[in-house]
Amino acid sequence: MFKLKIADLVGEHCVTSEDGQKVYDQIVPKLQSNEKVCLDFDGVSVFASPFFNFAVGQLLKNFSPDKLNGLLHVDNLTPDGTSVWKRVVQNAKEYYQNPKVKKAFDTTIEKEAEEK
Amino acid sequence: MSIIKQFSIPTLNDTPIDFDKLCELGDSVHDANSDVIFTFSDCQFLRPNAIAFLGGMARIVESKGKTVKFDFDTAPDKVLTILGHNGFAHQFGHSVFSGPGRSVPYREDRTELIKPANLRDDVIDYLSNEWIGRGWVHISPRLRNAIVGVVWEIYDNAFEHANSSIGIFSCGQYFPRLRILQLAVADFGIGIPSNVIQYLRLHLPAEICLRWAFQKGASTKTQGTRRGLGLTFLKDFVNLNHGKLEIYSQNGYALVHDGKERFQNRKNSLQGTIVNLTLRCDERYYYFADEPPVGPLF
Repeated sequence: MFKLKIADLVGEHCVTSEDGQKVYDQIVPKLQSNEKVCLDFDGVSVFASPFFNFAVGQLLKNFSPDKLNGLLHVDNLTPDGTSVWKRVVQNAKEYYQNPKVKKAFDTTIEKEAEEK
Repeated sequence: MSIIKQFSIPTLNDTPIDFDKLCELGDSVHDANSDVIFTFSDCQFLRPNAIAFLGGMARIVESKGKTVKFDFDTAPDKVLTILGHNGFAHQFGHSVFSGPGRSVPYREDRTELIKPANLRDDVIDYLSNEWIGRGWVHISPRLRNAIVGVVWEIYDNAFEHANSSIGIFSCGQYFPRLRILQLAVADFGIGIPSNVIQYLRLHLPAEICLRWAFQKGASTKTQGTRRGLGLTFLKDFVNLNHGKLEIYSQNGYALVHDGKERFQNRKNSLQGTIVNLTLRCDERYYYFADEPPVGPLF
């Protein structure tokens, strides 16, 4: 198993998309070769959605949820970090599994604007 | 000989009328295109949104090769105390005392001058130690970190979307009688309505653009991955806290308050965006919405 200590890679604040991308870049080759990955969040205190969008949300572009559940594990992720993770993953799933959601929303806005 | 134009800063709170005054002042300074001196004799009070905006406006003037002076000697004691405590006066060359008081320091983030990792840590430390962590509301370190993560979204939006060459300007204040804590973040970048119009390629009124931006998953950035949760997190937190989130962006206005959202077109337009966050300092309003759902990670 490939264990990645997040605090060593990005520090104690997991908040930016750049840092999320660093994590993504490290784990994607492992996942592609079906190697198990563990993300260890020991020492991380602050989480925000831009980090998770890039670290894990974009995994759903190329990997199925089942495959990711089988290969990717986390250690020491706080309840708050888990909460942000889950919402980011849900958001990404809605998008990647059903791109029509986005299109439908934009169309609604367009109609609303026309009615103004 | 260069021309120096004088502008009197009025009393500026944070109602829509005060934002109109800020817009008008910004327009006048912009049109003057000259060296500028600001006076305070007509000013009885300045809220953080006004201070953040004034700082940015001064940097815009400087970026055009002009000089800016704030004549702090014209400021009533109350105003000078605020500007001294939050460090604004010191930042603009006045030797007045500075110290925290009930102010959250005035802050400038010049994205071109600082490494992203340092910027990230500086802002997080500012929010943790100078804003929410000052003891005005008693919360656990865990909750403090969760709030900082949510409020970081304001800065992330500004850094990511505004493309403000001048920078990002922040200021805050604790109001003990009202038991509220404010944070204002101003950028002088492209503005939410323009970003949305460019992205959707539709000519939309500003209020519709803001309504679009507030939807879960809405983002004008498409590179990399799905985004657009920042305002959703902020909105949820503000509603839990019984606080208030206001966004003035160009001529658009968004308000989240009492569990409701309101979007408006405004007559006056400002360059960029001001986010004004008001939190209630009452421990009853600080808690976790829920424990994360159990189950698979994906």
